[in-house]
Amino acid sequence: MSEKFDSLEEHLEKFVENIRQLGIIVSDFQPSSQTGLNQKLNFMVTGLQDIDKCRQQLHDISVPLEVFEYIDQGRNPQLYTKECLERALAKNEQVKGKIDTMKKFKSLLIQELTKVFPEDMAKYKAIRGEDPPP
Amino acid sequence: AAAPPHPLPPAGAGTTELTGSTNLITHYNLEHAYNKFCGKKVKEKLSNFLPDLPGMIDLPGSHDNSSLRSLIEKPPICGSSFTPLTGTMLTGFRLHAGPLPEQCRLMHIQPPKKKNKHKHKQSRTQDPVPPETPSDSDHKKKKKKKEEDPERKRKKKEKKKKKNRHSPEHPGVGSSQASSSSSLR
Repeated sequence: MSEKFDSLEEHLEKFVENIRQLGIIVSDFQPSSQTGLNQKLNFMVTGLQDIDKCRQQLHDISVPLEVFEYIDQGRNPQLYTKECLERALAKNEQVKGKIDTMKKFKSLLIQELTKVFPEDMAKYKAIRGEDPPP
Repeated sequence: AAAPPHPLPPAGAGTTELTGSTNLITHYNLEHAYNKFCGKKVKEKLSNFLPDLPGMIDLPGSHDNSSLRSLIEKPPICGSSFTPLTGTMLTGFRLHAGPLPEQCRLMHIQPPKKKNKHKHKQSRTQDPVPPETPSDSDHKKKKKKKEEDPERKRKKKEKKKKKNRHSPEHPGVGSSQASSSSSLR
């Protein structure tokens, strides 16, 4: 799974490194650097070409938009994953709690109704079938 | 006689369906992911996730118009081809010699996470940029002054030896320059 990202990652790193070196050349330019500068400018074009070619391998990858908020704020995107998992677990526990409470309530209700309406509840159980053990 | 009860599914129905009563993290084999992200502290900054990315990446994207949101909301209009720059086009990139004004030098300053950050910044402004590309071995000595040279960092990353990143004794700055320039060609 991660292999298809390796090629993109490599191209991106090379592209970023090229830009960084461009910045160094430009920050204190000397005329003799012109050839190197031109070379790096053209590498920007081929670098983008290489990155674009990676798209085919990754066409099935979806990125949630919410993670972009983290990146735009200068925050680690792994925090998004962490918070997703934490929210999922919290919701899971909350729903499990509701289900367990409802099951107990149902059990108590049937118990009490059976005391008050034994014949009707017998018919009810016959039609509904036995509840599975909790 | 009383009407039959409203037809309900049998009491056992629904127990084979996936509900919140199941641990869904386990069900979807996400225990490893959960332990990895929630079992230990995840660092806050973007630079902790991308330590080798140059520039001040921990600043909000809205500050310098570099946000991903703006890219999605207003995609740049461009062609679909990647045409190399011709000689005529490149004449537009003939630059004046000399240092840039200080305010334009931001992009290659490293994120402030190292002890000798100020020394690093000073060394960048004081040392003249070599006239040739960074592969020029005549400027090894000038490059060596910069203890936190990102070229060195890149070499480290290639060798996956992160422990040596801050070592002032690390040799082979010239060789790192050669390897990085050869990879670009």
